[in-house]
Amino acid sequence: MSECSCREAFERLDDFLDRELTAEEIARVESHLCECVVCAEAYKFQGRALECVKAKVGKMKLPQDLHDRVIAALDECEA
Amino acid sequence: MDRSAFESHLKPVLDVAYGYAYKLTHNQDDAMDLVQEAAVQAFRSLGTFQEGTNFKAWFMKVLTNKFYKSKARETRRGRTVSLDDAEDMYLFRESEKAGVMDTLDTVFDKLEEEEVQRAIDDLPEEFRVVCLLYFMNDFSYEEIAEAAGIPLGTVRSRLHRGRKLLQRALWDVAESRGLVGAAAKGGRA
Repeated sequence: MSECSCREAFERLDDFLDRELTAEEIARVESHLCECVVCAEAYKFQGRALECVKAKVGKMKLPQDLHDRVIAALDECEA
Repeated sequence: MDRSAFESHLKPVLDVAYGYAYKLTHNQDDAMDLVQEAAVQAFRSLGTFQEGTNFKAWFMKVLTNKFYKSKARETRRGRTVSLDDAEDMYLFRESEKAGVMDTLDTVFDKLEEEEVQRAIDDLPEEFRVVCLLYFMNDFSYEEIAEAAGIPLGTVRSRLHRGRKLLQRALWDVAESRGLVGAAAKGGRA
């Protein structure tokens, strides 16, 4: 497995955090993060920032009558 | 797929669909109408759904298309975010400069959900849709591509740029609230 540079690690940051890399690519990045404190810190920080935003974009509570309204609309569509 | 099968696929995704619709329209009535119309459209278009594929992503695509065609889109307020690209890793760099690297969680905790939501709302439409699908649903790039009806490469580039714009917007909010920067330092002294 060839070494991953800081530049490559930087370019793969989003894909890594989003679990969009192949197993081999993940291994290359992780290997680099074990060696490079600067990149490791940046990855950790960006990961935390993402989780913080996800936590703030909350889930919505489903209005009670929406399901019934959808069923009624489908009934009308089939009629 | 018959009506009964359609309903059993639809029921588990209604809450996610409603949340997405609400964040697109900013209004409960419009969101409910949008989900209802999308459900009818999806039922009529069942022939385009391939059994065994991702129903949720497919339904979100129908809903997104409905939204694009709806009046709700015409009435949403214009974007306020600057399209000038933010630096890569904007929050990281600014946090480093401001000395708040280790307290980011605290800063974010103090941001209201509405402030984060508004920062996403202010993104240009194409970035907003992709970011909502990503942050709300934890969709994969492939699912976002399906739901937004755009190629995978476009998802990747829009998400990358949308996140940069969002990071800058959130930093600006934190700064204006005095959570970071000179005001925060003054407050701690």
